[in-house]
Amino acid sequence: MSNIAKNNKNLIYPGLLWFGIFFMLPLAVIFLYSFTTDYIFSGRSIDFTFSNFLLIFQKKHYLIILWRSLKISFITTVLSILFSYPVAYFLAKKTSLDRVLIVVLMIPFWVNYLIRIFAWKLLLSENGVINQFLLFIGFIDKPLQMLYTQTAVVFGLVYTYTPMMVLPLYATILKIDSSLTEAALDLGASRTGVFFDITFKLSLTGIFAGTLLVFIPALGSFAIPAILGGTDSVMIGNMVENQFFHVGNWNFGSAFTLALGALSIAMILFYSKIFGLESIYKNKNI
Amino acid sequence: MKNKKPAKPVFLAIYTALFFVYMFAPLVIIFIFAFNKGQGYYFPLQGFTLNWFNEFFSDNMALKAIKNSLLIAVASATISTLLGTFLTLGVVKGVKRFRTGLLTMLMLPVLMPSLTIGISILVFFRTIYIPLGIPVVILAHVSISISYVFLIMMGRIEGIDLEVQEAAIDLGAGWIASLKDILFPILLPAITAGWLFSFMISWNEFIITYFLIGTEVTLPIYIFSQLRFGISPKVNVISLLITLFTLTMIALLFAVRKFFARRRRAMDSYLSS
Repeated sequence: MSNIAKNNKNLIYPGLLWFGIFFMLPLAVIFLYSFTTDYIFSGRSIDFTFSNFLLIFQKKHYLIILWRSLKISFITTVLSILFSYPVAYFLAKKTSLDRVLIVVLMIPFWVNYLIRIFAWKLLLSENGVINQFLLFIGFIDKPLQMLYTQTAVVFGLVYTYTPMMVLPLYATILKIDSSLTEAALDLGASRTGVFFDITFKLSLTGIFAGTLLVFIPALGSFAIPAILGGTDSVMIGNMVENQFFHVGNWNFGSAFTLALGALSIAMILFYSKIFGLESIYKNKNI
Repeated sequence: MKNKKPAKPVFLAIYTALFFVYMFAPLVIIFIFAFNKGQGYYFPLQGFTLNWFNEFFSDNMALKAIKNSLLIAVASATISTLLGTFLTLGVVKGVKRFRTGLLTMLMLPVLMPSLTIGISILVFFRTIYIPLGIPVVILAHVSISISYVFLIMMGRIEGIDLEVQEAAIDLGAGWIASLKDILFPILLPAITAGWLFSFMISWNEFIITYFLIGTEVTLPIYIFSQLRFGISPKVNVISLLITLFTLTMIALLFAVRKFFARRRRAMDSYLSS
């Protein structure tokens, strides 16, 4: 019996080895880079330093990019909560077609996100459909500059990641026992009171899970600001790409990348401390 | 206190309908312009044409991108499903110590920004002087897909009772035979789902690929370069084709699920009779 368990346990090694070499080791390598002064294996001597991290805070340029990325990701997350909460609530509590509708909702999510960004590029452009419509109804008299702005980036991010918010919200609202809200109503609570005191509070797990799934990829986004944004919407991702492909400062680029990774790990640990990692596993479905 | 009847969710229903329109309308507009005669993206449409399809299919770069994307997706889905299935079996049915640590580590590729993953693998391979390109992209895609396979398989494997494996071994089967003849058929639905899922992850993956592909091209890379430097309705054509392909894959996933569910029901009724 225990022999079978031992044999089964050995099955983890090929996958673990792969994961260790091609995922964990690279993380260790950028960790090394971000605390040193030069290319590893370059033949030159390398020294330990904190300056790569300090540089992030010393140059105003980098601080602005960092602040902007946090701001854009935060707005994106808040908007996606606001947009998707009513939908998740409707799907979980007010319709019996929810399972079908969830599958339908996942279709755009499975379509390559560059294509969805392309759609927004067409919609937002100067003679695009949105400007045409606004001109047609007489709301504006000359086309608005919407493409290549931070607003366009937020539009693109919200559109891309909102399905990731709907899913965990739907899953948690579905689990809320209706007898709780009914009892509160019977006892004379107002409908708004019931919503904020019971439904909303019990769905906080879903909101936090959704926040992880929206905020982290938004913060690390690269293609969306590159396609929809202008010079005032450069985000961490674009800055890091520039460090590796054009500037060539790997140590500083690694430090910035590692900071981004560390921030996300901190958020994940914070979440798992409060709600447990299992709940993320349970929330993810196709 | 019967004056508080459940509110009719008219407002919510309308809002949800609008939300679905918001999700799908941009895609529909892309598809419409794949058949539009003019170069520009505005209404009124200039008439129907299939010209952009011709132009797309005579674009060698695009065809090469499709070929590379398929190659990478099939290779990485196959390797990651194989490694991932074993890994999940081992973790769920064998590992007792360090379980939480393992689970947390395997969650990283799902939750960490792709940017961090892509950059770290780029730096790793460049540091040991291995040239970038398709093989490196496959390696990286396997690393992230293993986690998704793990996510899909974990629930399924937790659900099976190892007594069947023990029984087979008690009856004289070897350990390998017990995996191949007993566990494999039981897990086949999950394995298929895991493969399709990994395929789609790799097929859609952009950021990690962008950093590791070197001078080669995949479909997302091709689209990205088109979007950055002047767009032609060729991109609409490729978007339409990719969406149709995606729908086919989703349908396949559900067909597989349904097939196995039916087979299982048939087996159950046979066993109980």
